[in-house]
Amino acid sequence: MKINYLNLNAMKTTKFLFKTMLCLALVSSFTSCSDDDDPAPVNEEELITNLTLTFTNTTNPGDVVLMSSVAPDGLEDGLSTETIIGSFTPGASYALTIGLLNESESPAEDVLNGDIIPEADEHFFVYAVNGLNLTMTRDASDIDGPDGSKLGVNTTWIAGASSFGNLQIRLIHEPSTVDDSDEFGSATGGSEDFNITFSGVVIN
Amino acid sequence: MKNIFLILFILITSFGSSQQCNSVLTGKISDFHDNTTLENATIQIIGTNKITISDEQGNFEFKNLCKQTYKIEVSHIACKTKVVNIEVDGNTYKLISLEHHLEELSEVTVKAKEQTTTKTAQETLIKTDVLERYSSLSIGDALKEVPGVSSINTGNTIVKPMINGLHSSRILIMNNGVRQQDQEWGIEHAPNIDINNAGQISVIKGSGALAYGGDAVGGVVIINPSRTINIDTLYGRTILGGQTNGRGYNITTTLNKNYSSGWFTQVQASYKRNGDFKAPDYYLTNTGLDSKGFAGRFGKRNFESGFEVYYSYLDNEIGILGASHIGSVFDIERAINSGQPLLIRDFSYDINAPKQEITHHLAKANYYKRFQGFGKISVQYDYQYNQRLEFDVRIGDRRNIPAIDLTLQTHSFLADVNLDSNLDRKVKFGILGRYQNNFANPDTGVRRLIPDYDKYDFGAYITTEWKLKDNLILDGGLRYDYVHIDAKKFYLKSRWEERNYDQDFADIIIEEFPTQYLTNPIFNFHNISASAGVRIDLNDENRLLFNYSLASRPPNPSELFSDGLHHSAARIELGDIRFDKEVSNRLSLSHSYNTDRLRVLSEVFYNRINNFIYLRPFDFILTGRGPFPIWEYQQTDAELYGIDLTVIYDISDKIQFSNKSSLTKGYDVETDMALIDMPPFSTINQIRYTNSNWNNFSASLKSEWVFEQNEFPDFNFEVEDQLTEEMVLIDISTPPAAFNLIHFYSEATFDLSDKTKLNIGLGINNIFDQSYRNYLNRLRFFADDLGRNFTLQLQLNY
Repeated sequence: MKINYLNLNAMKTTKFLFKTMLCLALVSSFTSCSDDDDPAPVNEEELITNLTLTFTNTTNPGDVVLMSSVAPDGLEDGLSTETIIGSFTPGASYALTIGLLNESESPAEDVLNGDIIPEADEHFFVYAVNGLNLTMTRDASDIDGPDGSKLGVNTTWIAGASSFGNLQIRLIHEPSTVDDSDEFGSATGGSEDFNITFSGVVIN
Repeated sequence: MKNIFLILFILITSFGSSQQCNSVLTGKISDFHDNTTLENATIQIIGTNKITISDEQGNFEFKNLCKQTYKIEVSHIACKTKVVNIEVDGNTYKLISLEHHLEELSEVTVKAKEQTTTKTAQETLIKTDVLERYSSLSIGDALKEVPGVSSINTGNTIVKPMINGLHSSRILIMNNGVRQQDQEWGIEHAPNIDINNAGQISVIKGSGALAYGGDAVGGVVIINPSRTINIDTLYGRTILGGQTNGRGYNITTTLNKNYSSGWFTQVQASYKRNGDFKAPDYYLTNTGLDSKGFAGRFGKRNFESGFEVYYSYLDNEIGILGASHIGSVFDIERAINSGQPLLIRDFSYDINAPKQEITHHLAKANYYKRFQGFGKISVQYDYQYNQRLEFDVRIGDRRNIPAIDLTLQTHSFLADVNLDSNLDRKVKFGILGRYQNNFANPDTGVRRLIPDYDKYDFGAYITTEWKLKDNLILDGGLRYDYVHIDAKKFYLKSRWEERNYDQDFADIIIEEFPTQYLTNPIFNFHNISASAGVRIDLNDENRLLFNYSLASRPPNPSELFSDGLHHSAARIELGDIRFDKEVSNRLSLSHSYNTDRLRVLSEVFYNRINNFIYLRPFDFILTGRGPFPIWEYQQTDAELYGIDLTVIYDISDKIQFSNKSSLTKGYDVETDMALIDMPPFSTINQIRYTNSNWNNFSASLKSEWVFEQNEFPDFNFEVEDQLTEEMVLIDISTPPAAFNLIHFYSEATFDLSDKTKLNIGLGINNIFDQSYRNYLNRLRFFADDLGRNFTLQLQLNY
């Protein structure tokens, strides 16, 4: 195995030397040493273009609240648009399903199951609400996150009295510390893979 | 019988003729560079007592020479002694040339005298003994010995030199005669040069050194290896160092073999390693460095001709503070407000993402020949291969794939003619041809930061130096450069339209993809640069230098093509392909006052830069990571001015006081705003005790006082925390407080044998372990700078 690696290196060096010599020979005529072919486009691999939060009433599957954020150039630095469909029913309990897709690939890539869940120990979902009587718990079936926490992909939400406000979801990559004792979760350090607030969420 | 006489006669005559020592050798001794005759040269026939002296016309004569080849030694005061073989066959005439002006022709360096590249520019030399103290550090650290030179850092191992407030593409670095091409446009891209390779560094403020290029709006740094000497010798140097902060160690060895015939060879290798540095209160996690360097050269160097083949290799793996990896403006806000890094681990030598891995190969070959009474012609070819890999914090299989993978290859051909037959009217001219190719590897899975491009340069220059009187020198120069860039750049359609390129550049689209356009921007720049100056020695103590330089710099790839997120700055940076070249007009005046005890050098400058390109915030974009500020490269007119002061005073034979102070101001004249990243006022005071009787012992105490930068553009911004609907201030502008660090350094040199010397240096940096942040360190938002550091260095010269 190690010998193979060395051979590969030696080959690379020979190739490099050969290329160098070739370039040396070509320089007098000022010819390009690169291929004249046009470069191939790079499709951003770590892109998330669509985030979908589907809240389904645990006793009434017809009662669904759908929140989505779409950024064709990626949630990282592209323009994103948020939409909310439906409202929560006071007193009802909802199961949250998260969808994270990269639709710039065809077929669309499932980023949640393809990248994040396999590396659950480096990721952590943090939720927050403002103005809303909405509580949540991380399910027993939730996936293990960093340092004995729960990742926050399988959660149950209970809507309280009628209210109006904002709901935030953040995905933290490589947090230094995490804490899910209040269920919503908090983290220090790391970097935000996304930070999306849905404004104008309704319970009535 | 008759035949016997005949044979005898032939034998006698032939014997006689070989013994017939009545030939006369006459000749003339002249000065090589200008053919003037040399009087009073001593001419001796080796192995005999025949000796004579040349007359007023340089003529000499030896009588009664035999028919044979003589070895003749010619010497003249201040000339290099020359031995020539002369075949005497009858009366013989021989012209012998010596070079009487080696020093003026820059062929030898006289230790006591400083040999600068320019005559009227603000130039400072850093010599070997000073550079050796920086063996464990970088070029950027050593250059700060020069007042007016600071650095813009990313952490403590990525150190970019800054001359009078300007850096990156505005500084031209010559590494052993080769213009360094290592993607210097990037603010996080430090020069890939091993400091242990340098024998001497010359820093020229401004663009006065036109022979090297016309775009050095900020200045020129000339790094030269140690000079070779033409004697049969073998010598070397080994430096071993250790530092407590970062638990670093470094070793470097240089070996030289020289021959009196002019042949020389030198090999040098170095290795540096450190783990996580430490601020006074915490470890700076992931700030390790692993650096390997090798260089070798050989050649033949004589007065009349010579050549050199040189190769150097440097491989740097540099960790970047882990806490600086952020995803959103809220991350940067938390980092600023927490007051300490959000990622602190125990000490480790591990280097993880984010990190840089850079390899740089440099190869060159040059040849020169001197022609009698004419001057010197040199030709050079050089090739550089620079690969930059930047690893970001990524997930899954992509963890080990760099996010940036750029390969830059550069070929240059140079030819120079140096007409120095008249030392009072020197003229130098030359041409340059350069081809450069940048390749951005698409396998990164990240859209290219810098596109693939081909770049062609052609340049021609002429410089002249006139010695009007012994105390009055004028110099001047003119240069023309043509730059042609042919790029293949992908644009996201959304960006293409946002930049309004769809209106101005629709014709450069060569292919359309679902979300992107492939475009073919082509640029042509014609640049004129010029310089003129005067040097006047008013008397023995006072010297004045005045210089004017005009420089033109075409925009660099990041200024033209940037379009995306800059992670560590949490901002989107946008270039503009409409940019025109930057034009600088710089005036400088220096006054030096030298007496036995007191030396004062004051240097003032004014630099007006039209079309100055710089980054400025101008908009926001609401993304899936919250709002992001968009910074755009813009062109404006700027002016910079300042003063650099050096005072050295010998209080007694053993005690010396010195002060280096520097004040630089920079403004955007269109908006009247201060320019960003201008070095704050700094003053360095040092007191040094030396005692040559104690093994050249010296000890110095240095105070490095850096003031708070109180002139800065206010680029702070407020973003809405959408959850709470409150506005949050992101303070990215306010400079950190002033600091005053105290450093100690002491050294002594011991003679181990005739030829072996051991130098021991002991230093303590930041003695009082003071916490501070530096305005010119781009990681100042995330962590304090370095705490106390004990350094020990052993240097063996043999």
